[in-house]
Amino acid sequence: MKKILSLTMAAILAFSLAACGNSGSSAPAADVSESSESAAAASDETASVEETDAAESEENESAAAGAEAAESDLAAIQEKGSLVVGITNFEPMDYQDENGEWIGFDADLARQFAEYLGVSVEFSEITWDYKVMELEAGNIDCVWNGMTLTDEVTSAMETSVPYCTNYQVLVYPAASSADFDGLTSLEGLNVAVESGSAGEDAAEALGASTVPVQSQANTLMEVSAGTSDVAVIDVLMAAAMTGEGTSYAELSYSVNLNEAQGLESEQYGVGFRKGSDLADAFNAFWAEKAADGTVEEIAVTYGLQDAVILE
Amino acid sequence: MFFMSAEFQTVVSALNEGFIKTVELFFLTLIGALPLGLVISFGSMSRFAPLRWLTRTVVWIIRGTPLVLQILILYYVPPLMKLFTWGGGETGRFTAVTTAFIINYAFYFSEIYRGGIQGVPAGQQEAGQVLGMTGPQIFFRITLLQMIKRIVPPMSNEIITLVKDTSLARVIALQEVIWMGESFMKGNRGYAGLIWPLFFTAVYYLAFSGVVTILLNRLEKKLSFFR
Repeated sequence: MKKILSLTMAAILAFSLAACGNSGSSAPAADVSESSESAAAASDETASVEETDAAESEENESAAAGAEAAESDLAAIQEKGSLVVGITNFEPMDYQDENGEWIGFDADLARQFAEYLGVSVEFSEITWDYKVMELEAGNIDCVWNGMTLTDEVTSAMETSVPYCTNYQVLVYPAASSADFDGLTSLEGLNVAVESGSAGEDAAEALGASTVPVQSQANTLMEVSAGTSDVAVIDVLMAAAMTGEGTSYAELSYSVNLNEAQGLESEQYGVGFRKGSDLADAFNAFWAEKAADGTVEEIAVTYGLQDAVILE
Repeated sequence: MFFMSAEFQTVVSALNEGFIKTVELFFLTLIGALPLGLVISFGSMSRFAPLRWLTRTVVWIIRGTPLVLQILILYYVPPLMKLFTWGGGETGRFTAVTTAFIINYAFYFSEIYRGGIQGVPAGQQEAGQVLGMTGPQIFFRITLLQMIKRIVPPMSNEIITLVKDTSLARVIALQEVIWMGESFMKGNRGYAGLIWPLFFTAVYYLAFSGVVTILLNRLEKKLSFFR
């Protein structure tokens, strides 16, 4: 009996150690692919590490994973026959019409991009916080949802050329709009922001104490319930969601926070898996569609003609 | 009248779509977890000590970690480790969530079963032995019936909790009823900035748990013989 006991304890201990080892190595993407691939593939990968070593000494691990993805990503999608676009419901970029069809500036162009690649398009709603995980896990092939190109985004994904400009605005109760005129600092205010958004960075840079919530829409609920003083969100969303005809008729927005900070406007881009050759395919696609006027036509449909970047 | 308006109709049809997902998840979880829980309870009552300890360790892990974390791990870790993928579409997400729910609830149920089985007085089994019944005969003809009777109230509790726990599925973007309610805050099907749909989902949960409560009460009454 005692023998069995000690044997099991040993087995459990060994098992838990192995489990720890696994989870430890699962962090860098390169390690993961290495551990599960066959010996032949592993030696291939070493070769690509050597190639990229010369070009980029730092981050050679992720570059190796990138080189591997670059060999296959576009081809893999064409073989699979569908481009899975990761989105959230975000008017006017990706949203559903009355029949449940996905429309919007991003959705319409994603449809054209899939056609350009010769595959069908599939929209998959994701939780925004997990967008990088969704990409790396292969659940989606790109994030195309009015995504601001922040440092976090460009370091974790292969991003396209910027295609749209955006800036952060302050949303507040319309009744107290006089208090926020010409504001250059948010010190002393409780500011609701979307967790992990560009708005959060902007608010923090302006000295606000932030209340990170799950989505940009929730920030508006915070303000209208009075649990936060103001919110910082994208201008495109603020325009669509506040004022007359919405549940937030009592809210209004102004103040270009990028100006208040003395920053350039932000830009939207499409995100692909790190190292994916889809980004190049996208850039070629965008140049073509911008040149023949398709992009502008779609931009006008959704009222984005001032924001879209055609160069 | 508001209940006749296009806004109300559109929102309700979207919420209905989400609610169907919720109900599907609920029933599939029960169908999977009820039998699996019984099997696990045998493991945790096994006379073979290593199996007993292994089962109880897993019970501890599953009951000791949040379901929301289990869903995230089950959905993201296998594809990240290149083991297998659930798929990014709705079907993949639904399969992953259902699996996580079945596992989680099976382990909770197993403890309820264990309590029920061990709560049957030992004299009942001894009586069976005296009558010359075999082990399985004793279990199926004597213990099981009395166990079922005992576990209905704690089981009802857990099942009502399951009705509401289904809302955790939206962490990996399964579009159940709360996800649908929230979608109208950002904008969906031509309506944006609506708050009421989110709160309105409470009606669905109340109606659903009401029906489940009535059914479980009936079951309890049906089983209230002997005393």
